Amino acid sequence: MPDDEPLHGPDTLVEDEDEEARLEDAMARGATGGLQVESATATAAAAEGGVSDYQASLWGDAWRQLRKNPLFLAAAVLLILFTVMAVAPGLFTSRDPQAADLSRSVETPSSSHWFGFDIQGRDYYTRVIYGTRVSLIIGLLVVGVDIVIAIILGSIAGYFGRFWDGFIGRMADIWFALPTTLAGIVFLSVMGERGLLQVSFVLIFLAWPTLMRLMRSSVLAGKESDYVLAARALGASNWRILRVHILPNGIAPVIVYGTISVGIIISAEAALSFLGVGLQLPAVSWGLMISGAQFRILQSPHLLLFPALFLSTLVLCFIIIGDALRDALDPRLR
Amino acid sequence: MRTGRKTQEGALVEMDGSFGGHLLEVRDLAVEFNTDYGDVHAVNGINYTLDQGESLAILGESGSGKTVSALAIMGLIDRPGRVASGEIVYKGVDLLKLSGTERRSIRGSEISMIFQDALSALNPVFTVGDQIAEMFRVHRGNSRRDAMAKALELMDRVRIPSAKERLRDYPHQFSGGMRQRVMIAIGISLDPDILIADEPTTALDVTVQAQIMELLAELQQETRMGLILITHDLGVVAEVADNVSVMYAGKIVEQGSVGDIYARPSHPYTERLMNSLPRVDRKSGRLDPIKGSPPSLMRIPSGCPFHPRCPRARFPVCRGEVPPLRVVAAERLSACHFAEEVLGDAG
Repeated sequence: MPDDEPLHGPDTLVEDEDEEARLEDAMARGATGGLQVESATATAAAAEGGVSDYQASLWGDAWRQLRKNPLFLAAAVLLILFTVMAVAPGLFTSRDPQAADLSRSVETPSSSHWFGFDIQGRDYYTRVIYGTRVSLIIGLLVVGVDIVIAIILGSIAGYFGRFWDGFIGRMADIWFALPTTLAGIVFLSVMGERGLLQVSFVLIFLAWPTLMRLMRSSVLAGKESDYVLAARALGASNWRILRVHILPNGIAPVIVYGTISVGIIISAEAALSFLGVGLQLPAVSWGLMISGAQFRILQSPHLLLFPALFLSTLVLCFIIIGDALRDALDPRLR
Repeated sequence: MRTGRKTQEGALVEMDGSFGGHLLEVRDLAVEFNTDYGDVHAVNGINYTLDQGESLAILGESGSGKTVSALAIMGLIDRPGRVASGEIVYKGVDLLKLSGTERRSIRGSEISMIFQDALSALNPVFTVGDQIAEMFRVHRGNSRRDAMAKALELMDRVRIPSAKERLRDYPHQFSGGMRQRVMIAIGISLDPDILIADEPTTALDVTVQAQIMELLAELQQETRMGLILITHDLGVVAEVADNVSVMYAGKIVEQGSVGDIYARPSHPYTERLMNSLPRVDRKSGRLDPIKGSPPSLMRIPSGCPFHPRCPRARFPVCRGEVPPLRVVAAERLSACHFAEEVLGDAG
């Protein structure tokens, strides 16, 4: 690349955090920001008062709105809780998820064992806590990789257009014709070993087209903007225009949909595991737990209830956060 | 590096430079857009020259091809548009023969452009400081800190008050005039030889318009750059331009110094344009517009393209023969069969 100076984007993101911090300061001091002061004296006076640091950007505005959204805050707190569960399950339980005591098989919840025991006599609470990790890793990994794929393919298709747009667009059309669950069953059932990576790979493989299309349409819209024309008139390269001008302005819908699709992917993993083509025992996964519970629903409903509750809560968290992000990032909805 | 004083005659006096001829010479430039509905002939063989320190105004209505001709100079004509013919000679080199990369290295550093609507021409997610600094980082490879220092200098130079505090503001926090100043700062940041200003004041208040034009004129005197001012505003032209090219339907219909053209138009279109200005000295407050509307660039009238709207049109000559752009007086070019008559009436 001709211009390999330090990345522009990350710098700016870091700055935005600074700005948020300063904004909070300003608000704490009771500042009434947002005033556009044109004259030198007014600005100078404001600066002396220490309140002119009001900064507004898309993400800054979004954050201000999100902080006031109780639904978002609740979902965010829950998500943080789930993340801690996934990273350090030991904080929530001191038991071993694989330690079995057959004499206590399918025992119902009690004060010492909140979620009861599974068929093998393993502490169900411990297993549900440990199951968080798999769901979260698969959800984030699949969507993370798909966002990268979407950014790369979507940018090529949207920005360079013509042949590449046609090629990538038709590929996406073919992919859309594959029913996700069915294709997942087919692909996974031919794999000898089905671990976290295999399941993630299949989900990555099946889920990219929607995000790619979103990215492409964002790039198409961004390409026509005046600031892109201006950037070209000032000699910016294609790479730089994409990276500095189009991506930061067009990434918001992809992030929003990505957040929502983390929830969708997590439930897709559970569905595949439930159908017996996802993770294999002895992996600890909510999908597997629900699958194991299916023939004992009437006798031992707790086996279904707890992993299903955790699963739906985590999925709901991502969907609420995605929804809140969309509302906050789209100025037309304010 | 740049010596020589600004002359009143502007373009018509040879300037000393490191190269022989004009700074920029546009020869027989034609741009067309090949759409599904037919070919749109946006620019049909225009010629003009620009010298160091000269201000050339390109005057015309919407759709007369003035912006397209500027984009052609920048090399920014996108499909379905294309430069159909002609040469754009900058410092003796035909830009149309250069590769994409070579053209890009000229854009911004040697030939720069500012746009009509500064708010949409600035990236909304970066601070203005970042956007000015970007020029130094991309073209000069300066460090972030150095580039920011230079950005601050430039903001002072285009007289943005308390530039230091405003460096980290976003475009939407600036007023229209200030935003255009930021655009100008970006445009002149690398000390270009040519600055193309595409209707730089159209989106602004009248009082702010004057300030921006003053700023452009001053910067031009300091840096001795050539300025191409694209506008439909006759007032703006009178303020800063040395020479004027009047465009109609993708052609230049009249060329000359600003004083001459304002005093004595030699083309009926220019004449009508002058008459259409609102005037305080006229008793009835009624405006005197040019009748009809500009022709579709897909179907440009035969002969003189202005003949359907021209009060002086005579048949069959005006409908049948394309009037060539010819010398009609000292340093005056006009594309009218009856230019002498128009000149005579004005004088």
